[in-house]
Amino acid sequence: MKRRDFISAASSLMVPLVLDGFGVKSMAKGSALVRSLRQTAALNNDRVLVIIYLGGGNDGLNTVIPLEYYSTYSQLRSNIAIPESSVLRLAGNAGTGFHPVMTGMRSLYDEGKLAIINSVSYPNPDQSHFRSTDIWMTGVDASQYSTSGWAGRYLGDRYPGYPDGYPNEQMEDPLALQIGQITTPALLGPDQSLGVTIQDPNTFYQLIGEASTETEGPLPCCDAGELVSYIRQKQVLAVGYASEIKAAADAGRNLAVYPDASQKNELADQLKIVARLIHGGLKSKIYYVELGGFDTHSGQVGTTSTEGIHAQLLKKLSDAIYSFQNDLKLQGTEDKVLGMTFSDFGRRANSNASKGTDHGVGAPMFVFGTGIKRQLVGTNPDLVNGLLPPTPAPGVTSRDIKMQIDFRRVYSDVLNDWFGTAGSKTDQILFRNFKTTSLFSDTVQSIASGAWANPEIWSNGRVPAIRDFVRINSGHVVDVGQNVTARDVKVEVGGELKFLGDYTVNIVK
Amino acid sequence: MAYLDTYTTPLTAAAAAHLLRRATFGPTNQEVADFTGKTASQAVDILINNSSYRATPPPPVEMDTTRSDAGQPFLDKPFSGSRSFTYFNYVKYWWIGLMAEQNGKPSVLEKLTAFWQNHFVVTYTPVEDYRYLDRYLRLLRTNALGNFKDLAIGISKDPGMLIFQNGNENTKALPNENYARELQELFTVGQRDFAGNYNYTEQDVKTAARVLTGWQATNRYVEGSTTFDSVFNSDRHDTSNKVFSEKYNNTTITGRTGTGAGDAELVDLITMLIGHPESPKYICRKLYRWYVNPNVTQEIEDQVIVPLAAFFASPGNNFAIAPVLKKLLTSNIFFDNRNIGAIVKSPAEFMIGAIRLFNQPVPDITTEYGPFQKMTSYLSNSMNLLQLNLLNQPSVFGSLPYYQTGYSKNWINETTIGLRSSRIDVLVNPILEIKPGYILGVDILARLRSIQPNFSDVAGTPAITCEQVLAEFSKNLFAIELSQQQKDFLIDSIMMMKSSPRTTWIREWDAYRTTPSDASKQNNILWRCRALLKYMLRMAEYQIF
Repeated sequence: MKRRDFISAASSLMVPLVLDGFGVKSMAKGSALVRSLRQTAALNNDRVLVIIYLGGGNDGLNTVIPLEYYSTYSQLRSNIAIPESSVLRLAGNAGTGFHPVMTGMRSLYDEGKLAIINSVSYPNPDQSHFRSTDIWMTGVDASQYSTSGWAGRYLGDRYPGYPDGYPNEQMEDPLALQIGQITTPALLGPDQSLGVTIQDPNTFYQLIGEASTETEGPLPCCDAGELVSYIRQKQVLAVGYASEIKAAADAGRNLAVYPDASQKNELADQLKIVARLIHGGLKSKIYYVELGGFDTHSGQVGTTSTEGIHAQLLKKLSDAIYSFQNDLKLQGTEDKVLGMTFSDFGRRANSNASKGTDHGVGAPMFVFGTGIKRQLVGTNPDLVNGLLPPTPAPGVTSRDIKMQIDFRRVYSDVLNDWFGTAGSKTDQILFRNFKTTSLFSDTVQSIASGAWANPEIWSNGRVPAIRDFVRINSGHVVDVGQNVTARDVKVEVGGELKFLGDYTVNIVK
Repeated sequence: MAYLDTYTTPLTAAAAAHLLRRATFGPTNQEVADFTGKTASQAVDILINNSSYRATPPPPVEMDTTRSDAGQPFLDKPFSGSRSFTYFNYVKYWWIGLMAEQNGKPSVLEKLTAFWQNHFVVTYTPVEDYRYLDRYLRLLRTNALGNFKDLAIGISKDPGMLIFQNGNENTKALPNENYARELQELFTVGQRDFAGNYNYTEQDVKTAARVLTGWQATNRYVEGSTTFDSVFNSDRHDTSNKVFSEKYNNTTITGRTGTGAGDAELVDLITMLIGHPESPKYICRKLYRWYVNPNVTQEIEDQVIVPLAAFFASPGNNFAIAPVLKKLLTSNIFFDNRNIGAIVKSPAEFMIGAIRLFNQPVPDITTEYGPFQKMTSYLSNSMNLLQLNLLNQPSVFGSLPYYQTGYSKNWINETTIGLRSSRIDVLVNPILEIKPGYILGVDILARLRSIQPNFSDVAGTPAITCEQVLAEFSKNLFAIELSQQQKDFLIDSIMMMKSSPRTTWIREWDAYRTTPSDASKQNNILWRCRALLKYMLRMAEYQIF
């Protein structure tokens, strides 16, 4: 096993650390050399992903409000519905709006920097917080278990052998950085977390700088040996990374205004650190932050439906993302950063008597940054004909929002199109192939046969719009039963565009 | 060796220390000595019987010495919203004090109560009424060793749980499923069996919610209120029959009416839930992970969990908890070498374990409430920083390292490693004054004087050696024995700082013996021994138990 090799490698790195037992400040390394190597960008791809976890299961319908079905919406949840007049309108999207506190995210949407992925879930959804979060973080089927996280598997593939020999000259920074308390499963690799968890760069450095480190020594048998080895690794890595993180924090600057301390916006505080570290040149690929409190079984609204716990949370989310994106823009780092939210699951379409919502199924994800090529994936959840169960038995009030987009399709696009991972690797990381959502592409592809007007046959879950390039993939027959317009329509060999009558395809360049 | 058969070898010091580390928050050296030579069965009987010694400890009091009501109990006073968070902390300190005190009567009670508090989780947020948390904690403490069925029934109508899991809002018109789900998923049957099959259906969640309709908690956070309780409101109760899925053998719970309906149906529900064949296994698996090893293999499932669960649910035992605990803590598998050091210490075992091992006395809560508060708040704050929030866990699942992949490893990350060091350092470099004459921390000089024969006879009695010093500070400190290589490293590289031979120690120690009041002579000793002890408390080996 590599573990023993690691300990011996680690102990050679540790030589300067145990000079007098204490007072360790940093790893010995050829600083100038390392700096110059950094400039050559041995790891050419400097793209970053920021994952925002909304703990507890966010209520999607009061976040992204389907104005298109407003009357049904307000009937389903009369005690918590946002008044139609208060809903924030989105540019070029009359059928959809945001919760009134989400002014920042509305601005980003209007600027083309924020996408809504509608009704995201997975087949056979689980309504346990723990299990459903586990499914999202490990990236598996509801019937499958994995001890590693999806992002951890990506990093494990990209940086083989970690932590053996890390930090090194090619990657002197943590592969992933979590600002928070306890390490997320999403960053778990095959053996251990590939992320480094810190609360704040300066306190982290102080803590670790003061910390002593470990003696060599044989490992005891069994689980105790594994635990001792694990803890020693963490000690070595903590010392190894502390000075790098501090250097980045010192070099980086926040240039935008963030919510002030009186707002107690813990998400903004975390993203502020992330922006500073990115600006300071930290090479970590993935940052993980979180905002808890979304498990709103009761009292999610206050005396009016536009205030209360959920409104406070969404305000934190929106203000934080807005400040962060603005900061990146001012820093000039905007084009290399992509953000993504996820939550345990959605909540019921109908509210309960306690002005709350119980655990549900589909809910929107947000993806933000300048790298996105489209702003809508999937359609507004169809509250009239599209809820589950389709025809509730007498006395059954629970209605769920059915899945349109499997979350792993979004992960797959992030891995393929954002990080540039080879498709075959991505499929390995996610255990099989997932169809694109075209989130990072101008081209909408067919993913099944069917009518042109059926959103489900298109990769983005929507009927192609006037500005879309359209591709009919091999094996798919798309029936045209109306006049259609697109920027381009390409039919692959083996694909077919079948006209059901005398209709035209208008190409508008 | 049958894993669950009783371990019959008389306990060595190492085995006694293992038992005490797991059954309590950590032993004193005296307790290890007292338990050495006993059989496992005798030892566990003592640990269980000692629980009665602290069955009804004196109540928490106002601990702010600047207040006129300092030292007075507050739980019997009218509710005060402005003091609620402070009083809640006092309740928590009260409990931490019981975990940490050294009264010569080590017992399983607080560790087991902590297990239940991480199992039937209720948290201060969002309950926010200190009286509720106090009642909840006492329910767990009183029933910790009692009957699981009584505990499950009691917790289901506990005022704190009714608030925390929205039972308070669960009505026939609009059932709230929150508690019904967690009752099955987390408290009784578990979501899935060991092979991964679902133990109940989504419809069972909805049906159980209907059984539980009508319960409410009164006077929560009502300023000036002098009583509070859980009540059953039959107008809010769903009186129809409740039919469960084949997972529960299609059990029907007959709908009842009237004031007794709530209790009657609740008893039926809990009886059905714990009658599910997976319930006893789920509870026993969790006990095994808490007391023995978080890693449950198929072999352990078959050889330990299944037979222990069968015993738990057997007609003769009928869900009594104490006999199951005894069976587990006296089993061959518990003492098996592979399970020594197999868990990363939680912040409680890490902090309180050190307090107990180094004999740091807990002041009396009734007469020395100010010093009591200083000590227990330091422990409480340290544990919070290290991610253990007793009575205020992040979610209904309890603390993450008790359920997440990797289990106890999750206590350790780059930040908590640093924090563990800084919080434990106060025991090595004493700075926290608990009261005049008592600064928290190891009295290194006194400890070494106690092992030096004929202290003042410098000429006639040889000095204690480096090896003896290391042995003294290592006594019962580590769950696993250090190697000779590590011991040499600790002496030569840390204690002697790679700069002096071991004989230097002898000279320095004898110089101190000669003029013990000379500060510079004391400082030589303290400098070396603090470096040593500080290092030892940071070693990976100290983090496991």
